[in-house]
Amino acid sequence: MILSALILVPLLGSLIVGFYPGVISLALSRSITIGFASISLLLTIATGVMFDLSHIGLQMQEFLPWLPDLGLNYSLAIDGLSFPLVALTNLLTVLLAFNSSVGLKPGEDLKRPRLFYSLLLLVNSGVIGAFLAQNLMLFFLFYEVELIPFYLLIVIWGSAKREYAATKFLIYTALSGVLILAAFLAMNWLTGAASFEYGAIDTTDLSRNTQLVLLALLLVGFGIKTPLVPLHSWLPDAYVESSAPVSIMLGGILSKLGTYGIIRFAVGLFPETWVSVAPVMATIAAITVIYGSFCAIAQTDMKRMVAYSSIGHMGYIILGTAALTPLSMIGVISQMVAHGLILALLFYLIGMIESKVGTRELELLNGLLNPIRGLPMISALLILGAMASAGIPGMVGFVAEFMVFQGSFAAFPVQTLITILGTALTAVYFVILLNQTCFGKLDTKSSYYAPVARWEYMPAFILTAVIIFLGIQPSWLVRWSQVTSDAIAFVM
Amino acid sequence: MTQTLEAPKTKIPPSTHPLAEIIHRLEAGGTMLPDTPENLMQIIGLYKAYAVPMDFYWRDLLYIAEQVFLNPLPWNKYLISDEYLDRENKYSGDNADLRIWRGCGDAHPELREFMAQGELKKDLPTILHHLWHDRINMEFAEECMRSMLWHRDMYKPWNQFDGFLDTDEYKQNCDRAINAYFKGNPVMLGLYKLFPDMFYEQCRQMSYYSNLGLFWEVMAPVFFEMSDLYDEGKMTSVPAAMDFLVNGIFAIAGRPIYHHVYIKGECFEIIPKSKGFTWLYEAALPYVEAVFYRTAPFRGTKSYNAQAGQVPDAQPDFHYGVLYADKFPVGTAGIPPTFLAQDMLHFLPDYLVEYYKQHCRGEGDTIVQLAVSFQRSMYCVTSAVIQALRAALLYPLDDEDPDHLMANRQFFEAQMDRFLRPEARIRDIQNQEYR
Amino acid sequence: MPNIVEIAVSDDRFSTLVTAVQVAGLVEALQSPGPFTVFAPLNSAFEKLPPGTITSLVQNPPQLGRILTYHVVSGKYTKADLEKLSEVTSLEGTTIRLNFKKNEVKNATAVLTDIEATNGIIHVIDNVILMGP
Repeated sequence: MILSALILVPLLGSLIVGFYPGVISLALSRSITIGFASISLLLTIATGVMFDLSHIGLQMQEFLPWLPDLGLNYSLAIDGLSFPLVALTNLLTVLLAFNSSVGLKPGEDLKRPRLFYSLLLLVNSGVIGAFLAQNLMLFFLFYEVELIPFYLLIVIWGSAKREYAATKFLIYTALSGVLILAAFLAMNWLTGAASFEYGAIDTTDLSRNTQLVLLALLLVGFGIKTPLVPLHSWLPDAYVESSAPVSIMLGGILSKLGTYGIIRFAVGLFPETWVSVAPVMATIAAITVIYGSFCAIAQTDMKRMVAYSSIGHMGYIILGTAALTPLSMIGVISQMVAHGLILALLFYLIGMIESKVGTRELELLNGLLNPIRGLPMISALLILGAMASAGIPGMVGFVAEFMVFQGSFAAFPVQTLITILGTALTAVYFVILLNQTCFGKLDTKSSYYAPVARWEYMPAFILTAVIIFLGIQPSWLVRWSQVTSDAIAFVM
Repeated sequence: MTQTLEAPKTKIPPSTHPLAEIIHRLEAGGTMLPDTPENLMQIIGLYKAYAVPMDFYWRDLLYIAEQVFLNPLPWNKYLISDEYLDRENKYSGDNADLRIWRGCGDAHPELREFMAQGELKKDLPTILHHLWHDRINMEFAEECMRSMLWHRDMYKPWNQFDGFLDTDEYKQNCDRAINAYFKGNPVMLGLYKLFPDMFYEQCRQMSYYSNLGLFWEVMAPVFFEMSDLYDEGKMTSVPAAMDFLVNGIFAIAGRPIYHHVYIKGECFEIIPKSKGFTWLYEAALPYVEAVFYRTAPFRGTKSYNAQAGQVPDAQPDFHYGVLYADKFPVGTAGIPPTFLAQDMLHFLPDYLVEYYKQHCRGEGDTIVQLAVSFQRSMYCVTSAVIQALRAALLYPLDDEDPDHLMANRQFFEAQMDRFLRPEARIRDIQNQEYR
Repeated sequence: MPNIVEIAVSDDRFSTLVTAVQVAGLVEALQSPGPFTVFAPLNSAFEKLPPGTITSLVQNPPQLGRILTYHVVSGKYTKADLEKLSEVTSLEGTTIRLNFKKNEVKNATAVLTDIEATNGIIHVIDNVILMGP
């Protein structure tokens, strides 16, 4: 029941905030949202306590026939792949509910707060559902549920080019959905499975070419969401034009659905075919890393820089998945969490800077480390976040990347080395970013920034604490997924 | 309240200087700082906040110059003796030579209270306050002194103090003092035999301690009196404040500048009063030049590359003084004015504490706001110096002779030329929103 | 013919100057053979100085003496001599800017020129001149 609760609690919250007939003030809707998101987080902790670390495969299964004629059942379960992502999602949701006004220009208030909070909880519910669904159709339903809320989140709360970005996002993601649906339906029909249950699908009897086509459909479908180069072009626009909380959701939560889908469905259902395409995927991963990093170096907008860096970092995940060794798979799952945490921190801090200074342009920012008139704590955390993203030891990014590289090197040495070069480039663009924004002198003409309130630091502090804690004590991160990743790697 | 900005009704055409507006204001008897009640409040408040630590600065500077002298390990040089705290200021108190401030002649009560309790507001032993850095920051005063020492040949030939430091007479005076100071200390005397110039250079530095101490001994009562007059409602405009300063400059222009050292109770006159060195020529003018205009680039938030021409070749072109300083990094390590701003923060009058709470980050950045106000107040002091020089060397503002007015004009324009470089804050201070 | 000091003492318009010279201990020097050229400020010139200036100078004879020696030039320069010069060097050591065609000594005006004395010459000026460019 606890898994259903993880889906239903935010859904209920979403309905209350969105449809309660009376007047709900901004403060109250925020409190309600924090309340429901906190319950979800507590439920996640409870799930973690109940989680059996030694259990191979799915646990806490819930099954309810829904439309058995269509093969659609309400079937939930959790394993070491989905649990860390559920936890990440619920943590970020609480933090976003706590400060949804991050990234607003000085003096602005959050527009249409009830709708915003309602959509935030709805998205949370949908993503959790997708992570837990063990029926292909159910997964697809949850997967598609995100589409319209995210479209609205971008188009209502975004910046100048938001309509362009939102439409691009909609088209890409809809296409991704269509491809995945086509693959799921074909798998059901071709294998003659009785239902869309994950466990019921067995592709081993299909011909190699059929498998390749189906796998390709899934890879393109999930590759758009991830995104993989060259399917990424929606991402910089969507991230940059979105408001800060929405870009945190996009980067921290939604993009994980893509990699999750690849591991769960592409690797899980077509293990042998995956192994045969793995060299290609590893190469695409290396290209993604290098391309994302070089693009990031060229950017003049902090957020766009971090958006491209995010593309690069998703490449590590694909590389590790292609290698499919036990170590690389732990690395992959860790990297998904690490990426979500670090990206959320960076976007949050950039949002804070935009809120206080009014710009994200590297050219216009200067001297933010100034202890009295600047944003010293925000800058310090930004430096820390950049270090984490660049994979400095002691923080979670290092742990994940190291395991990915260590696990992948034996399988794909060239691609791994190229990817490692990409990590070095991470340091390059972050040094550019920090040098331009945090160092130097504040401009005396314009530098009258509002101070950062203590509560506004809270989400950043919490994220930083988690990033450092998991960096120093990585066993807390890998323990959940060790058995599962062994199992995934063992599939081959 | 703002003064007329049009060219004064004179017989010469308006100036075409880029800072013509300010030149016309000076020609009308005004200051570089616009005459607004807000500016007046800021500068007077800062004079008061400056005067209290200054009351310590001058005492300790003289204490170091006269008592600590060449101590090679002067760890206690900021732990001033009671004798120097009780020392009567020559320009305030009942025994003053010329009473500028109506108040006491010994250390200011607020200063004594702060020295006893510090920022912690706790009666701890002085040494603990000192080690916790909860004290008056003499480092700033020493930075000013070093600046004067480093920019030595300023205002030559009118400033004769500096030339004297290189004469044999000075070295002989030093020699007697050094031998007496290190009597029975063969190590130091041996070093002196080996490296006499090093010891003379230390003496020169000590002489500048004395110079600056004697200079500030005068300024503290001037500022206190201005603050009292403002509180009584008797000082009502920025030009009035400047005129008070101009009169002050003239009144004490002839105050002797000297350097006496007391070794075991015996007085050694390293620079005797009979040299005729005066407050105006040997202290005030070099001080203004060194500290307001020149100083040196700070180590701190910005690194300078001298090879790339980021630091001027010639010392007179240095432009790192308070009139040019970027006040925003105040509070950063390595920025000497931070020390001063920290000192002044403790003695702000209530009206300024309230005023700063209403602007920018309120209490959070009071230290920067007050540093900007301080910059305004120093533009007022510099205006007073410019007007005093004009009165001393040139002609009255209401002179009938166009040639004389033109001479005044050229003088003002030459002064304003120094503020044409982009670092100068003169344009910023015209705007009340610069804070 | 009287010397410079005797001329000054005999004229009430120089009483402040005379007092100042006495305080500064320069009487003897100005009685020496010289010759000197003296720019002698009138009493009214001293009165133009802001209050306190004289007080603090009188308290400090060496400093007062320095200002006074700035008004004395070694050698005997008549008005005609001075008209040819743009500056002369004072006994104080620094120079005095001249525009004697307009009877100007720095920012002072010579109201009476060429008063002969045994050990020099006196030009009467209406301002105390101060060291500086």
